[in-house]
Amino acid sequence: MNEAVAEAPPIELIGLNKWFGAFHVLKDIDLRVREGERIVVCGPSGSGKSTMIRCINQLETHQEGTIRIHGRSYGRDARENDAIRREIGMVFQSFNLFPHLTVLENCTFALTWVRHMPKQEAEDLAMSFLARVRIPEQAGKYPLQLSGGQQQRVAIARALCARPRIMLFDEPTSSLDPEMINEVLDTMVELAESGMTMVVVTHEMGFARKVADRVIFMDQGEIVEEAPPEAFFAAPRYDRTRLFLSQVL
Amino acid sequence: MANTSSPLADSSGLPPAEIFKPKPARAAPASTLGIQGWIRQNMFSSIPSAVVTLLGLWIVYAFLDAILTWAVGNAVWEASNRRECLDQVGRSGACWPGVAAWIPNLIYGLYPKDQVWRINLAALVLLVWAVPLWLPRVRSKVQIGLSLVLLFPLLASYLFLGGEKGAIWSALIALGFAAFLWALLTTATEMTTGLSFTRFVVGALGATGRSEEASRRIGFAALLVVYAVSLLAVQAMALSFVQTRLWGGLFLTTVISGIGIAVSLPAGIVLALARRSRMPLISLLATAFIELFRSVPLITILFMFNTMLPLFLPVGVEVNQLLRAIVAVCLFAAAYMAEVVRGGLQAIPRGQYEAASAMGLGFWQATGLVIMPQALKIMIPTIVGNFIGLFKDTTLVSIIGLFDLLSMARAVGEDTRWLGLFLEPFFFVTMIYFVACFGMSQYSLNLEQRLSAGERR
Repeated sequence: MNEAVAEAPPIELIGLNKWFGAFHVLKDIDLRVREGERIVVCGPSGSGKSTMIRCINQLETHQEGTIRIHGRSYGRDARENDAIRREIGMVFQSFNLFPHLTVLENCTFALTWVRHMPKQEAEDLAMSFLARVRIPEQAGKYPLQLSGGQQQRVAIARALCARPRIMLFDEPTSSLDPEMINEVLDTMVELAESGMTMVVVTHEMGFARKVADRVIFMDQGEIVEEAPPEAFFAAPRYDRTRLFLSQVL
Repeated sequence: MANTSSPLADSSGLPPAEIFKPKPARAAPASTLGIQGWIRQNMFSSIPSAVVTLLGLWIVYAFLDAILTWAVGNAVWEASNRRECLDQVGRSGACWPGVAAWIPNLIYGLYPKDQVWRINLAALVLLVWAVPLWLPRVRSKVQIGLSLVLLFPLLASYLFLGGEKGAIWSALIALGFAAFLWALLTTATEMTTGLSFTRFVVGALGATGRSEEASRRIGFAALLVVYAVSLLAVQAMALSFVQTRLWGGLFLTTVISGIGIAVSLPAGIVLALARRSRMPLISLLATAFIELFRSVPLITILFMFNTMLPLFLPVGVEVNQLLRAIVAVCLFAAAYMAEVVRGGLQAIPRGQYEAASAMGLGFWQATGLVIMPQALKIMIPTIVGNFIGLFKDTTLVSIIGLFDLLSMARAVGEDTRWLGLFLEPFFFVTMIYFVACFGMSQYSLNLEQRLSAGERR
C-alpha cells in the first residue's frame, strides 16, 4: 500500500465530468501528471481550464470521475479531503492575499493555524520563502501597499510556506501590468527548476516554451490535444489549436 | 529562447535612442496653501460663495446666541421652586434648580438612596475591567474583553438586584467576581513581568522547567484558588433586594441598551452566518426570524412581549417586566445587526474564502480568522450607527411603564414644586444623549483609523 502511494502519480484525473447547473463544463477529462512534471494549460476563456485546476484542490466539486492526489482520492471524509488539499498550493489570478494581515502574517498564517507551528519557527520559514521570491524587505508591509507583481510573489511565497508537493497556478499574470509580468514569471521559472510539480493555466506562451514539459490545449470542456512544447507550437494537430495559436502568438 | 520580453526591445536599425529626462516637481502656488489659502479657496472663492459663507456664519451666531442667553445668561441657578424662577426672569431664562434637585432621580430612577453606591460600584468595576483593553502592554486583551462581556453581567445583576441567593446563583456571581479578579491580576502581571497570571504563578513557584501538562495544572489550581476566594467573598456579601420597578433613569437606559448592544453583535453574527448557510432549513429559519423582527416596529414588539407573552406562559411562571423588555430589545437589535453583518460578509470577495480553504482551513477557521475580521472592519460605521440607534430606541420602553431617562425627565414637570418645568429637563437629557452618542461615534472613527492602517497605500 505504502509503495503504491509512493509510486502513485501526483495528480490523476480519470473520467472527470462537471456541470454548473445544466451546463457541462468538463467533459471526460483524463490527465496524469508525473512527479516533477510541469504542465501548462491553455485555451480560450470558458474552455474549462480554470475549473479543471480548481477541481484538483476541490475548490470546485465534480459530479463524475475520480481525482487522485498521490494515490489518495477525495471522498466524503472532510478531514481526509483537507489533508489531501494540504499537499497542494495554489496561486490565484487576483492574488487573494489577506489584506488585514501583513506580508509576513500572510505567509505564517497556514503554518500557525493549520500546522500549529511555533511562532518563531513559522516566521523563520516564512522569511526564507520571502527571500526566495526576493522581497524579504517587504515583510512588515500590508499587501495593498505593494505593487501587483510584488503581491503575486508574496502569494507564491505564502503557498510555498505550507510545503506543498504540487503547485497550481490559475492565470497568475493575467491581472498584472505588463511591466510586472516578468518578475512573477521569473519566480515561477526558478520554482520549476527546483523540481516542483506544477500545473499552470496561462496565456504566456513564452513561459510554456521555456518551462513546460507538456502543453495542454482545452476547448469547450475537453482536452483537445497535449504535446511537448516543441511539437505543440511547431506542429499542432487540430485546426482549433492552430486557430488559437494564430490568435495568441 | 523565451519570447516573454516586449517585441520592440530587439528591433534594430533605429537611430540611437534619445534620453528621457522627467521634469522636476515644482511647489504648489502659494495662494492655495495654508489656512489663508484654504479659506480663500473654500469660503470666498466667488461672490455668491462669500454671501453664503457670511449668511451661514450669521445663522450659527444667532442660534448659539439665543441658546446661550437662555441656558446661561438669563438662567436662574438658585431657587426652591419654579415660582421663584418665574418671578426672577420669567420664561427668558432656564430654571436649573429644578433639574439639579432631580439629578439623582434622572440618573438612578427610584433606586433607594442608601443603596445607590451599588450602582456606582458596578460602574467602577466595569470601568476598571475595561481599562486593560487600552493598555498596549496587556496581551490577554481578547480573554479580558470576552470575560467582561460574558461574566460582568453576572456580577452586575447581583449588585443591582441583591436579595437572597441560592447555591447556584452564588456560584455564578462568584464566577463573575473571580473573572474580575483574574482580569486585574493578569493585567498586573503582564504590565510588570510580561507573563500572564497563570504563567506568573508557575514561575513564582519555581516550576517553569516542568512539563507543559504540569504547568497547566498549576495554572488551573491558581485559578481555582481565585474562584474559592471569590466564593467566600460573595457568601459574605448580603445586599438587600431592590425590585426592578424601582430601577430607572440613565441607569435603566444603560442597562437595557448595554445588554442589547452586547447581545446584538454576537447574535447578529450567528444569524447572518445562518442566513448564508447552505443548509436550507437553517437558512430559512434565520431568514424568517430576521424578516419578522425587522418588519415590526419596536413598540409593537415591546407591547407583544409585555402583554401577550404572559398569556402564553404556564400559570404561575412570571417573567419580570424588565426582563421581557430586555429580551424584546435584544431580539429586535439582533435582527437588525444580522443584516448589517450580512452586508459586510457580502463585501468580502469570494477569493478570500478560496485562498483560506486552499490553505487547508476549515469553514469556521476561514470565517473567524479571515472573513469576519475584514467584514467587521468594513462595517464599523454601520455597527456603531446601530448601537447609537439602539441606545436612543430604548426610550420606547417608557411606553410599557419602565422609567428610563426620558420618562424621568418628564416626571420633573409633574413634581408639585417644579410644576410645568419640561424644557430644562429635556435640554439636560438631550445633552446626556448627545455626549453618549457623540462619544460612541468618535470612538468608532478612532477605531476605524487605527484598524485601517493596512489599507493606507
